[in-house]
Amino acid sequence: MAWVALAAVVVVTLAIVAWPSGGKPSQAQRVQSVSSELRCPDCESQSIAQSSTETARAARADIRTRVAAGQSDAEIRQAYIDKFGPSILLKPESGGLGILVWGLPAAALVLGAGGLVLALRRWRREPHLHPTDADRELVQSARPR
Amino acid sequence: MKHRARWIALAAGLVVTVFAVVLATQVGTDPRADANKSHLLGANAPSVDLPTLDGARLRTSDLAGKVVIVNFWNSWCIPCQEEHRALADFYGRHAGDPGFVMVGIVRDDTDDAVRRYVANEGVPYPVALDPGARASLEFGTRGQPETYAISPDGVITGTRFGPSSVANLEQLLAAARGQR
Repeated sequence: MAWVALAAVVVVTLAIVAWPSGGKPSQAQRVQSVSSELRCPDCESQSIAQSSTETARAARADIRTRVAAGQSDAEIRQAYIDKFGPSILLKPESGGLGILVWGLPAAALVLGAGGLVLALRRWRREPHLHPTDADRELVQSARPR
Repeated sequence: MKHRARWIALAAGLVVTVFAVVLATQVGTDPRADANKSHLLGANAPSVDLPTLDGARLRTSDLAGKVVIVNFWNSWCIPCQEEHRALADFYGRHAGDPGFVMVGIVRDDTDDAVRRYVANEGVPYPVALDPGARASLEFGTRGQPETYAISPDGVITGTRFGPSSVANLEQLLAAARGQR
């Protein structure tokens, strides 16, 4: 019963976290979101959304134009990959080799959790041993008088 | 099924091992190595329409049929200053060729600073300004200096990030002429 309750808590928590907030994102939200995923081309470790360089400002304006023209987020990302290469993405791609970066830790986590559950269940199944009279006698005889 | 926990432990160990191997093979590799080269090599050159320092317009559409060398630079960048002489010498060698065009596009600088630099140092080829950094973005620039060679049919045939020597520029020109 405790396991079912625990599983329910986990599922509900994940659902709350993963549930999309609000409805369809506005154009401004999409510009912000895509800009946050792309690395500023001429500065270190900042996104286009964060950077104040002239090129980053130009990129934000370009993304705004592309969103208004009806391009999808994936199309905009691809346009920037075509121009700058995959390193323009702040996070690794979720396909190709990039899937290893995301997939392997998740697989290890799932397998580790599975193993832990099995181990806990096995420990629960094991009988609780109580000392017999023979055990008590053995302990008494071993104690110094 | 008898030793399910063991199999799961084995699988988890295998996954961790694969992950460790992947990480180990990536040590020493630069995840941003692709930032040191242009991804527009072999692609059509972006179409730009920019104001030049002397009040004219630079339109790539007007340059069709010519070999074009485009140099992104600015006045405060030390490597740009270091390659200035090579650019001027290279331009001097080919300025008389009607099929050759060279242009400097200013990246991330103020008009006044550029005008001062051009007046003091002398830049013999046309200089275009890039208000709004649109051309810098379209060419996929990551800094300056960066030099691009464009063939007569408008394809980017060579790029160089960082300061160029005359020999580097000659190589870019030869590639743009299809002489590589």
